[in-house]
Amino acid sequence: MKSLKTLVIAAALSLGAVSVGHAQAPAAAPAEAPVAATAANPAPIAADAAAPTAAPATTEAAVPAGDANYVPMKPTPGIGQPVAKGIDFQPQVSPVGEQAYWFNNVILLPVITVITLFVLGLLLWVVFRYRAKANPVPSKTTHNTFIEIIWTAIPVLILAVIAVPSIRLLAQQYEPPSKEALTIKVTGYQWYWGYAYPDQGIGEYVSKMLPEADAKAAGEPYQLAVDNRMVVPVGRQVKLIITGADVIHSFAVPAFWTKMDAVPGRANETTFTANKVGVFYGQCSELCGVDHGYMPIAVEVLPVDRWEAWVRSKGGNPAGPVTAVAAAAPAPAATPATTTTEAVPAAAPAAAPAATN
Amino acid sequence: MTDIAATAPAHGHADHAHDDHDHDTPGFFVRWFMSTNHKDIGTLYLIFAIVAGIVGGVISGMMRLELAEPGIQYLTGWAQFFDGAAGDVQGKHFWNVMITAHGLIMVFFMVMPAMIGGFGNWFVPLMIGAPDMAFPRMNNVSFWLTFVAFVMLVGSMFVPGGSGLGAGTGWTVYAPLSTSGSAGPAVDMAIFSLHLAGAASILGAINFITTIFNMRAPGMTIHKMPLFVWSVLVTAFLLLLALPVLAAAITMLLTDRNFGTTFYDAAGGGDPVLYQHLFWFFGHPEVYIMILPGFGIVSQIISTFSRKPVFGYLGMAYAMVAIGVVGFIVWAHHMFTVGMSVNLKMYFTAATMVIAVPTGIKIFSWIATMWGGSMSFKTPMVWSLGFIFMFTVGGVTGVVLANGGVDTNLHDTYYVVAHFHYVLSLGAVFSLFAGFYYWFPKMSGRMYNEFLGQLHFWIFFIGVNVLFFPQHFLGQQGMPRRYPDYPEAYAFWHLISSYGYVIMAVGVLIFFVNILWSLVAGKKAADNPWGEGATTLEWTLSSPPPFHQFNELPRIA
Amino acid sequence: MIARLSPKAKTASLASALALAMVGLGFAAVPLYDLFCRVTGFGGTTQRYDPVAAAADPVVLSRTVSVRFDANVSPGLPWKFYPEHPTDTVSIGARDMAIFIAENNSSKPVVGTAGFNVTPTQAGKYFTKIQCFCFTEQRLEPGQQMRMPVLFFVDPKIMDDPDARDIQEITLSYTFHPVDEGKKAS
Repeated sequence: MKSLKTLVIAAALSLGAVSVGHAQAPAAAPAEAPVAATAANPAPIAADAAAPTAAPATTEAAVPAGDANYVPMKPTPGIGQPVAKGIDFQPQVSPVGEQAYWFNNVILLPVITVITLFVLGLLLWVVFRYRAKANPVPSKTTHNTFIEIIWTAIPVLILAVIAVPSIRLLAQQYEPPSKEALTIKVTGYQWYWGYAYPDQGIGEYVSKMLPEADAKAAGEPYQLAVDNRMVVPVGRQVKLIITGADVIHSFAVPAFWTKMDAVPGRANETTFTANKVGVFYGQCSELCGVDHGYMPIAVEVLPVDRWEAWVRSKGGNPAGPVTAVAAAAPAPAATPATTTTEAVPAAAPAAAPAATN
Repeated sequence: MTDIAATAPAHGHADHAHDDHDHDTPGFFVRWFMSTNHKDIGTLYLIFAIVAGIVGGVISGMMRLELAEPGIQYLTGWAQFFDGAAGDVQGKHFWNVMITAHGLIMVFFMVMPAMIGGFGNWFVPLMIGAPDMAFPRMNNVSFWLTFVAFVMLVGSMFVPGGSGLGAGTGWTVYAPLSTSGSAGPAVDMAIFSLHLAGAASILGAINFITTIFNMRAPGMTIHKMPLFVWSVLVTAFLLLLALPVLAAAITMLLTDRNFGTTFYDAAGGGDPVLYQHLFWFFGHPEVYIMILPGFGIVSQIISTFSRKPVFGYLGMAYAMVAIGVVGFIVWAHHMFTVGMSVNLKMYFTAATMVIAVPTGIKIFSWIATMWGGSMSFKTPMVWSLGFIFMFTVGGVTGVVLANGGVDTNLHDTYYVVAHFHYVLSLGAVFSLFAGFYYWFPKMSGRMYNEFLGQLHFWIFFIGVNVLFFPQHFLGQQGMPRRYPDYPEAYAFWHLISSYGYVIMAVGVLIFFVNILWSLVAGKKAADNPWGEGATTLEWTLSSPPPFHQFNELPRIA
Repeated sequence: MIARLSPKAKTASLASALALAMVGLGFAAVPLYDLFCRVTGFGGTTQRYDPVAAAADPVVLSRTVSVRFDANVSPGLPWKFYPEHPTDTVSIGARDMAIFIAENNSSKPVVGTAGFNVTPTQAGKYFTKIQCFCFTEQRLEPGQQMRMPVLFFVDPKIMDDPDARDIQEITLSYTFHPVDEGKKAS
């Protein structure tokens, strides 16, 4: 009973939030999903009334009403996306990414550079020293057990040195996600992504690439910008449950050091923790047909309060029935609750698979 | 143990007595279409590989042209040209057809035929002192199967394959994109083409194994065989063990596509990941199939032009065996992002890195062969030196990718593209050019033009490095593979990469000019143009060798 | 027989036999892979409860683990399919029942069959199903809604596995596929 009440309040609040936002910043959101825009229209008056009263009822009283609004964030140049003429990895914003970046740039890259230069040096030396002019009479040496042992043993040692941080990195990547992790269901379709937040009661919504004009208008890089982003709170571990609907796709975000195949008929799991607010882009990384190159991924990392506002704007409950009793509510309960908001569930589970082909 | 050098040449001149057998040479049609002569079949394979290489190379040129700047510039037009009525979708499908065709052609119809069919056929019998291959007719069947396979693959580009003409599945032909994801006969044709090419290679492998085990000249013990013969022997075993698995895997693809089975279809209890396991169980040994004969060629050349026997002969031979064996137990490093447990990833990381050890032994042994030598820098030697360095660069990025944790980010990016082009396009192809220049005088009886050969090397060397080195940067920045288009930020390095292609193409043109000029006007080649460093049996014969050689077997002391 | 062949024919026969054996191994990989997955839980393959082998009921531990229920419908199956609850907390070793709900949204009867796996993959070995709708084909009449139970427990042996004992949440994922009469299970 209690949870139902919370949901109704949340639904009302989210409605208010979207419509207020729509009124306050119409120009700022041309690229916003049409779904959200239409959702806001039906009941602006009721929502306006509900929003101020509902806001104090929830926890974050300090948040001004304006902040409860979700406007897609502008990406930061050089963060979460490739840069022109860039040669290095994208700046890493997750602990695993930082660890892996360190491993590559502090251990692997110097080691392979030294080895390559060493081989180059040896080559240049023999070319110079043992050219026919400098050494007219070739030696007849064909064996030297000692040196052969050396050049077997030293590479083994180097590899052993590399193996330690490599194994440590793998272990870190595979640390079981904590109980508090935010679970997001990711589904790859030909040729777009579907995201759902089962614990927040946000049914699957579709994320497609923005056309060039819309991307430019929104100040985002074309072929990376999408209409509906995946939105996550900063600093909180995110657990992705990834599957493919038709063929194999691969969910990848370079700035989080995350990549996992979306295989039909099978769920895969991976995690990331984004420690920086911003927009982070990725692209499908497994050949999946004609529009393989045109199903980008955009993850927006928001401060917790603004993430919660986004969840409400989607008709969800940010608190999320993570465990126990409250678990009774979400899927079935969210459906009746959202019938009042009407347009929001348009992208919900039932519609999505049917819409795929 | 290794100095065949000291004894073999003594027997060489006996063979000139057999030149009079040349009047047995059959007429044109019988000679080239029903050939049972290993040298003629080798020549056919080399010509075939060059033609396939031109086709595959033109396709990559079209890809680099499209990728030179962001946006789709040419694809729709090209699709229009091939397809008749075409639009945006057909254009993008045509892209996938090109990446598929480029990969399959270069692997199955350029590198493999040139290395094994071409140089293997030509020089394995010569080097072990055998009159011909063990099964000359089967040898001919192998070649023509490969030819039909190639025709079939090229033909598949002109029949419906789903969103447009041709198979757009990538050379890996992953299910379910290749099953439920690609309607039309194109993928069936491409799969059937692989069956034929695979069957041809298996027959070839049986032929080489039988030849090497049974037809060595008296005294040519297994531990006296030149390293090129060793490399072909190891390669033949890899072919024999790996290709049948591919055949099984793609047969199941065919039945999934056409007969309602569900080996790779989750809907019927199958698993698409099983296909990947089977494919890479073949696919990883396949990369060693492409590079091991190159190792053999480079070993011969380094020894010849350093005027010194190969350093650590046994280590070199068994390093190849070790690479072959370990090559069978590392396949899943191609599938690090498919969703595997941490223990499995740790195992494949460790096993993959182990390969660096025998590879390192080879690199250092080549350098040690030159150490103390008396080196001359003829074209084949320059290509071999280039090979060693470029293969090292490709090898060390392989060590980076071997780390499952790092591969998470680099998997399926241009970093991987750069890596395997460094080991193949700059490794295998460098060794092919090296071998071609090395044996051209023996095969044709004429010298190539040394200046053009050197020019070819330097232009090609600069070109491929400009072409492929920036692709490491693109990969680190996150650029995924198999994309016809890309965000603006990647434009700079893509443009540089495309310039590199143009430079490389100029190099290849010089190569063709060199061949044509040399065939027509090249100096007559001596039996052994390379001097005392060239100690293997082929240099004891005339240039070109008689149609039938070693009717009296040479005796190796 | 082989002994009487010429040396060349002998080598060639052995080599051909090797190639044929590898073809056989390629096809044998299908059942072998299946077996391997079942035995090791590879790829998140779950275990099936065998009442004969398991003489005694597993010990119920005080430690709990969360189980998440994930439901997918493959394109081409006009169903709605979802878990009654997205997650449940169970004591390790204790039997638990989860309900999945399927609705046929189309106007004709449809038969579906479910595939499944668990993540993280290393939990597959310890996730044992006693009873499951996924073992059989399901037929839904137009508009029919069906509640489908899964009876399972998490094997207490999970606590002895250093790679699996820290797992906080196991996801049990189902995908419903249409049953095409033309297709038979391999």
